[in-house]
Amino acid sequence: MSNSTYKVPIGPQHPALKEPENFLLTVDGEEIIDVKIRLGYVHRGGEKAFENRTYVQGLYLIERVCGICAMAHQLCYVNNLEPMMDVEAPPRAQYIRTIVAELERVHSHLLWLGVAAHEIGFDTLFMYCWRDREVSLDLMEMITGNRVLHAANTIGGVRRDLTADMISKTRKGIALLKKRTEYYKKLVLAEKTILKRALGVGILSTKDAAELCAVGPTARASNVKKDVRKDDPYSAYDEIPFNLITYDLCDVASRVLVRVDELIESANIIEYSLDHLPTGPIGVRAPRSIPPGENVSIVEAPRGEDIHYCKSNGTDKPERYKVRAPTLGNWASMAKMLIGGYVADVPITLAAIDPCMSCTDRVAFIDANSGKNWIWSTEQIKKYSKKNGGR
Amino acid sequence: MIIEILKLLIIPGIFFLFTLALFYQWLDRRFLARLQNRRGPMHTGSHGTLQPLADFIKLLAKEDIEPEAVDKPVFRGVPILLSTISITALFFIPIWGVKAFVHFEGDLIFMTFLMTLIAILAFLGGWSSTNRFSTIGGLRAAMQTLGYEVPLSLAFIGPAIVAKSLSISKIVEWQASTGIWAIILNPLGFGIAIIALLAELEKVPFDLPEAETELVAGWQTEFSGRKLALLRFAFDLELVLAAGLITSLFLGGPAGPFYNIPWVGVIWFFIKTTIVVLILSNLRGLFARFRIDQMVSGCWKYLVPLAIIQIIFLQLVLG
Repeated sequence: MSNSTYKVPIGPQHPALKEPENFLLTVDGEEIIDVKIRLGYVHRGGEKAFENRTYVQGLYLIERVCGICAMAHQLCYVNNLEPMMDVEAPPRAQYIRTIVAELERVHSHLLWLGVAAHEIGFDTLFMYCWRDREVSLDLMEMITGNRVLHAANTIGGVRRDLTADMISKTRKGIALLKKRTEYYKKLVLAEKTILKRALGVGILSTKDAAELCAVGPTARASNVKKDVRKDDPYSAYDEIPFNLITYDLCDVASRVLVRVDELIESANIIEYSLDHLPTGPIGVRAPRSIPPGENVSIVEAPRGEDIHYCKSNGTDKPERYKVRAPTLGNWASMAKMLIGGYVADVPITLAAIDPCMSCTDRVAFIDANSGKNWIWSTEQIKKYSKKNGGR
Repeated sequence: MIIEILKLLIIPGIFFLFTLALFYQWLDRRFLARLQNRRGPMHTGSHGTLQPLADFIKLLAKEDIEPEAVDKPVFRGVPILLSTISITALFFIPIWGVKAFVHFEGDLIFMTFLMTLIAILAFLGGWSSTNRFSTIGGLRAAMQTLGYEVPLSLAFIGPAIVAKSLSISKIVEWQASTGIWAIILNPLGFGIAIIALLAELEKVPFDLPEAETELVAGWQTEFSGRKLALLRFAFDLELVLAAGLITSLFLGGPAGPFYNIPWVGVIWFFIKTTIVVLILSNLRGLFARFRIDQMVSGCWKYLVPLAIIQIIFLQLVLG
C-alpha cells in the first residue's frame, strides 16, 4: 500500500451512524479504495431469550428486535407460528394486519427519507418528513394503542378491531400523507443539490444486486423485481392490487425514488384495504403449545425481506428461534456500493440501504487464522471477560 | 486618546460588535428554525434572544480539553487569531456613518486578505488538531478557498470600479452622495458575493469543512471549552462581517434618508444587514450540501465567468 492512502474509521461512534457499527475505509485523498465492515457491537442475545419464553411472551419480545419494523417482525412471527398451531386468522384480522403493516412502511420510509436528507445536509427536508411521519404514528396509535411497538397482533388474529370512526380518520390521514408524498417526489426530482448528491452515487448494478442477494428497496432500486408481498403473498396481499416499484438507475437517487413511490403505493394499499374490509371476528383461539416441528416465514419489512425460523419441541416454548433481519441481506452489497466513491458520499450511501444494525448483529466465535468456530456458555463468557479485566 | 479607546471598546467597538454578533446568531437560528417548521431557541430571554449569550457563557465555563498530539501553539492560537481578525476586519465596515472606524485607500484589498487569512486559519486549526476528521475538514476548508476566493474578489471589484476607489468607506461615501446603490450596476456581483460568502461562512450548501454527518465537526472536532466558545464567537462575527460587507459594498451601507443625523445611519445599516442575514439564512434552508469537487468546479465553471461578465458589463456601461 502506498503512502498516499490512509485509513478513516467510520464508527463505531460516528454522527452518520445511528447505531454502532465499524467501517474501516482506506482512502486516497477523498476516494475510497477499500472498505472493511465489522459487525457485532450491539448483539443483544434476543434469539436465546426466546427459548426461555412462551410463544405468547415471544410476541412482545419479537417486536423489540426492531423499533421501526416492529409490526413486520411480529407479523412474521405470527405467520410462522399459526401454520404450526394449525390455526388461521380470520379475513378481517388479515386486512387489519395489512393496514398496520403498510402504515408502518409509510412511517419507516418517511423516516428514511428524512434521514437521507439529513445525511446530505438538507435539514429542511428532514424536518418536514419527520413532521409528516407523525401523522402515520398517530394513526397507528389510534388503531393499535401504541406509536411504536404496536403489539397489534396476537396468535390467531389481532388485538383490536377497527371502528367506523377509526376508518374515517385513517382515510383523512392517508389522503394528507399522499398529498405530501407527491410534493416530496416533485421536490426530489426538481432540487438540483439533491440530484447532484444522489445521481450516480453508490452504484449497485442489477447483476451485483442479484448475486449478492440484496433485499427490499435496495434490490428494487437496482431493478431486481423482488418483493415478498408479490412473490409469496401473506396476510391480505394476494387480494390487493398494487404495483411492484422498480427503478433502473441503480444509485442512491433510484433508492430514494423507489421509496417515495412505495409511499404512494402503500397509501393506495391502505385505501383499498379500508374499502374492502371484510366483516367478521378479528381472532380465533390458539393453542398454547406447538407439536414438534419447524417452520420458516418471510415477510416484506419496510427494509426488505425478513426471515424467521422456528423449531418447536411440543412444549409452550420454542427450542430455537432464528431471526434474519433485512439489513443482513444488504451488507454484502454495501461494500460494493462504497468502493470507488468519495468519503463525502459514505453517509448517504450507508443510509441508502436503511440499515438497522442492532436488528442484524449476532455473535459468533471464530478464530480468524484457523477458521475454527465454537460456542461458549454464559459461564465461559463471564470467565473470559473477568480474565480480560471486566467485572 | 481616552475617547478613542472607549470608542474601540464600546461603540462602534468590541462591545457593540459582540452584541450584534450574538443578535444575528439568534436571528439566523430562529429564522432557519421557522423555515424548517421548528421553533428554534425559545427559553432564554424574550423569544430566546439571550440563548447565544447563554451558549457562549456555557462554553466558556466548560472543560477545555487539549489532546496530547495537537500542535499546541497553533492549536491555541487559532481561536484567538480567528476572533481578533474578525473583529479587526469589522472595524473597516462603516456602521455609524459613511466613514468606518479605520479606513485608508486600499482597505478593500486588505479586507480580502483578512478573509483569506480566516480560511487559512481554519485549515491550520484542522491541521494542528492531528485528528483525521479535523485534517480532512481543514483540507476541505483550504480547497473551498480555492473555489470561492477568486469570484468573491472579482465581485468586490465591481463596486470599486463604480466608485473609482479601493476603500470601503469611499465606496459607501460615493453611494451616499450620489444616491445610487452599487447593486443597481452590480446585480450579478451581488449574487456572486452572497454565494461566495456562504462558502466563506461554511454554511449549507457549502458547509463541507464541518459536514456533521461526514466529519463529526470537521476541523473544529478537537476544540472544546473556551477555544470552542471563541471559535463560535468568531463565526458570529464573520456573519456580521459578511452581512456588513454586502451592505457596504452593494447596498449603500448606512446611507438612506436622513442618514446624517446621528443614530439614523446605524438604523439603516441595521435594517440592511438584517435583510442580508435573512437572505443568507434562507439559502441555508433551501439546499443540500455539495460535495467538495462539485463545489470547486461549480465555482470555476459558473461563478468566475459570471463575475468576469459583470466586470466587462461595468466597463462597457461606465467606460
